[in-house]
Amino acid sequence: MDLRLPSGLFFVILGVILTGLGVFAPGLRAPLTDLNVNLYAGLCMLVFGAFLLLMALRASRKQP
Amino acid sequence: MTLAAIDYVILATYFVFVIGIGWMLRKRMATSGDFLLSGRSVPVWITSLAFIAANLGSQEIVGMAASGAKYGIMTCHFYWLGAIPAMIFMGLFMMPFYYGSKARSVPEFLKLRFDEKTRGFNAILFAAMTIFSSGISMFVTGIWLHLVLGWDFAASVIATAAIVLLYTYLGGLTSAIYNEVLQFFLIVAGFLPLSIMACAKAGGWQGMLSRLPANMTHTWKYMGHAADNPMGVELFGMIAGLGFVMSFGYWCTNFLVVQRAMAADSMSAARRTPLIGAIPKMFMPFVVILPGIVAVALAHMPAPGGGHLYEIPLKAGGGNDYNTMIFTLMGKFYPAGILGVGLTGLMASFMSGMAGNVTAFNTVFTYDIYQSYIRKTAPDKHYLFVGRMTTIAGVVLSIGAAYVCKSYDNIMDLLQFVFAFVNAPLFATFLLGMFWKRATAHGAFSGLVSSVFGAILTFGFTQAEGHGGFLYCAHRFGSQMVQNFWIAIAAFTTCLVVTVVVSLATVPRPDSEMEGLVYGLTKIKKDEGARWYQRPAPLAVFVAVLVIVINIWLA
Repeated sequence: MDLRLPSGLFFVILGVILTGLGVFAPGLRAPLTDLNVNLYAGLCMLVFGAFLLLMALRASRKQP
Repeated sequence: MTLAAIDYVILATYFVFVIGIGWMLRKRMATSGDFLLSGRSVPVWITSLAFIAANLGSQEIVGMAASGAKYGIMTCHFYWLGAIPAMIFMGLFMMPFYYGSKARSVPEFLKLRFDEKTRGFNAILFAAMTIFSSGISMFVTGIWLHLVLGWDFAASVIATAAIVLLYTYLGGLTSAIYNEVLQFFLIVAGFLPLSIMACAKAGGWQGMLSRLPANMTHTWKYMGHAADNPMGVELFGMIAGLGFVMSFGYWCTNFLVVQRAMAADSMSAARRTPLIGAIPKMFMPFVVILPGIVAVALAHMPAPGGGHLYEIPLKAGGGNDYNTMIFTLMGKFYPAGILGVGLTGLMASFMSGMAGNVTAFNTVFTYDIYQSYIRKTAPDKHYLFVGRMTTIAGVVLSIGAAYVCKSYDNIMDLLQFVFAFVNAPLFATFLLGMFWKRATAHGAFSGLVSSVFGAILTFGFTQAEGHGGFLYCAHRFGSQMVQNFWIAIAAFTTCLVVTVVVSLATVPRPDSEMEGLVYGLTKIKKDEGARWYQRPAPLAVFVAVLVIVINIWLA
């Protein structure tokens, strides 16, 4: 099993949840939050998850 | 602190993935070696991250933020001085013997190099220690979850233990290691935003530093005298105690971490595991310590409506309660959504600490206690079965240990005292065992046993924060931490001296029996032709330069 597959998938799911929150509930704030942290953190997780998935895909193409 | 539905969704998603990874690996568990040793087939990037994640347990995460608030940037010494040099040494000089000897565990190496009694002593001590440290981890987790989220103590302890049991039972060490990598990513994802936002709120890096007492903003500058720095430690105690004895004792001999490197798929990968792990390890202070440091700055900043931006929580009996800080900080900065990620990161660290102990325990019990003393020859299937049963027993015993800690306050103190020195003398044994072929089995055994007395005597004659000094108070230390450094130094020195003296008085072992176990009698393969970052030595130089640069920056 290529670990990059499940962990990539996990971060894509987290990213989708957080980005969704950031887009549809942009006003969510804790007492000291200044920015839409869900949106930015969610986008970072999406990118990271996609990167892991891409690496896993590349490796599986090399060794069928 | 209250959680929204979405936070529970994130937590549940994580649980599904953790158990899912165990489920996907269950078919690969055909032999006891697959289950307990990962069949020595794990890629190096995974063993490297697992190597550092196994150490990122709950107490580490919560304790480092707490120490950050107490001691400031000096806390980074636990990483840059107290881990990186030992990890470099382990990869360069010790891994060739661990991996090359084909030993399946640290106690088994002692058996190959010395004899049965040295192995037995170490195996039993180690097995008991892992159970208690996983018990303490569970206990602390349960207390926090109860305190912060209002969850029931028993329910949270049993639920987390059940999940850890499920994925380690299904996929063995491989499952624990794979999950540790996921846990590592999640810890970073859950804590880094907090670090960044808190730091920005305090006016950026410079703004934060300007709001802290001067002696909290440097790693080395105030180390000349114990009275000048918040830790109350002098230079020698710091370097010899933390930087040498304690860190080398932990990172080079604790099977919990060594096991991760031994699961690598080749000698070169095993040697590079601690070296590659050292790179993210070096930057972990910015993720786990920084929130605690920033909190002190925030506690000095006025809030628009009066009071301060952040108040360090107080204990019921008075004094600061640094241990709940990380939770209240998250509450201040994280809205629903990312709060779920942060708490899942905390849960991940709870689980990685527990799973690390359980997988180390089942290996040592199965191979070093059961196979050595209870049933020596049996088909491998039998040992696979014993390994699985030990996994269950380990989790159940840990829950028991958690309840023991809950019922008796003094037990925790006693255990923390034992943990403080237990690895230190073992490092003396390994140092002599691997690099001095004259060291004998009787020497090693008497060194290890006598070191316990060295530690108890040091504890009996010194005092710190009301601890120790039960025989006579000859010296008072600035803090309990410094006392622990000195207990470790005493235990290490006793072991070293006694081992050397007894070895010289006993009959040496013939060289021919020690091939692959001792420096000078072992051929270490050179990895010529590989790229520099695929070879241990150049990689070690790179890591060393990097850590020196960071130290100079924050000196």
